[in-house]
Amino acid sequence: MDFLKRAAFVLGGIFLGINLINYFVMGHTGDYLPGGERMGEWRAAKIREACYPALESPERDGLLPKLSTDTHRVDWRDLDRARDMTAALNCYLVTHPNAVCERNNRAYIVDYINRYFAKFDEMMNTAKRYGEAEMSTVRKLWDSPRNRAINAALLQDTSSGRLIKADFGWSVPTAMKPMLDRYNGTNDNCPKA
Amino acid sequence: MAGEIFSLIRMPLIAFVGGFLVVGGWIWAPELWRMVHSQFSGGSSVSMFAGANRIGRPEVAPVVRTCFSKVMDDLGPDVKKMEPSAAYFILKAGSMQANVSAMLGKERGESPAAHLAYAWGELASCIYALEDRALCDPDNRAAAVETTAKFFGYAKQAADSGAKSMVPGNDGRAIENIRDRLLLMLKNHRRYGTLVAADFGSFAPAEIMQVMRSEQKETRDICKR
Repeated sequence: MDFLKRAAFVLGGIFLGINLINYFVMGHTGDYLPGGERMGEWRAAKIREACYPALESPERDGLLPKLSTDTHRVDWRDLDRARDMTAALNCYLVTHPNAVCERNNRAYIVDYINRYFAKFDEMMNTAKRYGEAEMSTVRKLWDSPRNRAINAALLQDTSSGRLIKADFGWSVPTAMKPMLDRYNGTNDNCPKA
Repeated sequence: MAGEIFSLIRMPLIAFVGGFLVVGGWIWAPELWRMVHSQFSGGSSVSMFAGANRIGRPEVAPVVRTCFSKVMDDLGPDVKKMEPSAAYFILKAGSMQANVSAMLGKERGESPAAHLAYAWGELASCIYALEDRALCDPDNRAAAVETTAKFFGYAKQAADSGAKSMVPGNDGRAIENIRDRLLLMLKNHRRYGTLVAADFGSFAPAEIMQVMRSEQKETRDICKR
C-alpha cells in the first residue's frame, strides 16, 4: 500500500511537473485551449508574424497606453508589457479584423486575449495594495484609444459569433464573460473560403 | 533565437525536473504528505512569510523616484529621461554585470566595485535624508534596505580589491564618509522602529547586522503614530 502511494505520488508529480513547466515556464498556455473544428494550432498562426511590424517601436504610437501621472507605483516592465500587448492585440483584432476567422489564428488570438486580460488583472491586483488612486492610474493606463478599439473589436467579434465562449474553454476572462454569455449560440459571419 | 534555445533545453529541463521529482518524491513523499495533510486539517502552522508586508518593491518606491535624479548625474541625460524604476533596474543590472566580471577574474584595480559602492551609497544617503516616516512605506523601506546592503557589499569588495582611488572626486575617503553616515542612519532608524534586523534578511553584510542586532535601550515605532 505504501509502495503504491509512493509510486502514485511520483507519477503524479512527473505529469503535473511537466504540465506546470509547459504552462508557467514555457508559457505555452495555448496548448491548454480546447481543440475542435474552430480552433487550430496556435503555433501555426500567421497573424503573429504579420503583426511583427506593429511591435517594432510602440513608443512612437501616441495612442497606446501611457501613464497619466508621475506619482504611481507601476513598474516600467509592466508598463512596457501593457504597451506591447495592446499594440499586438490591436493589430490582431483591429488592423486585421478577419484574422480571427482562420482557425490557427483564432487559437493564437484567444490565447493572447487571455494573456491581455490576465496582465490587466495582475496590474490591478498589485495596484490594490496602494489604494484607489493607484487603481485609478492603472485603469486609466489600460483605457487608451487602442484599448478602447480592442474592446470594441471584441464586442464586435463576440456579437458576430467569431469568438464564442467554447473557444476559451475553462479560461474565460472575467471581463469577457458577460458579452460571451449574451451572444452565446450566435453563428459566425466569417467570410467562407 | 530564444525559441531555438528553449527548444534545445526543453527536453533536458523536463528530464531534469522529472528526475528530481522521481528521486525527491520517493524520499520526501511521506513528509510532504504529512505536511499537506497538517496544513488542511487545521493543525498548528507557522507562516513562512511572517513580516513579508514590511518589505515591498524597491524599484517603484517614491524615494527612488525622488532621489534618482539627484544622485545619478554621471549616468547621463538619457537615464534622467527614463522612468526611475527603469533607471534603478539599470543600476542593478550594472551591479550584476560587475559581479559577473569579478567572478570571471578581472585584474585588480579594474574593479568597478568602488564606483558602484559610491552610486548605491549616494542613493541610500539621499533616501535616509528624506523624512524618517517615509520608510514606513514598504516600497521605500525595501529601497532603503537594498541600497544600504548593496553599498556595504560593494564597499567591502572595493576595499578588498584596493580600488579606492577610482572613487569620483579622487577622494579615497568618500566611501568611508558614506559608510559612517549610513551606519548612523541605520542606528537612528532602528531606534525609530522603521528598520529592523529581519528587514535585511539572513545574508546582510556584517556591519549592518552588527548595528541592527546591537542592544538598544529604548526603541519606539514611529510608523504606529
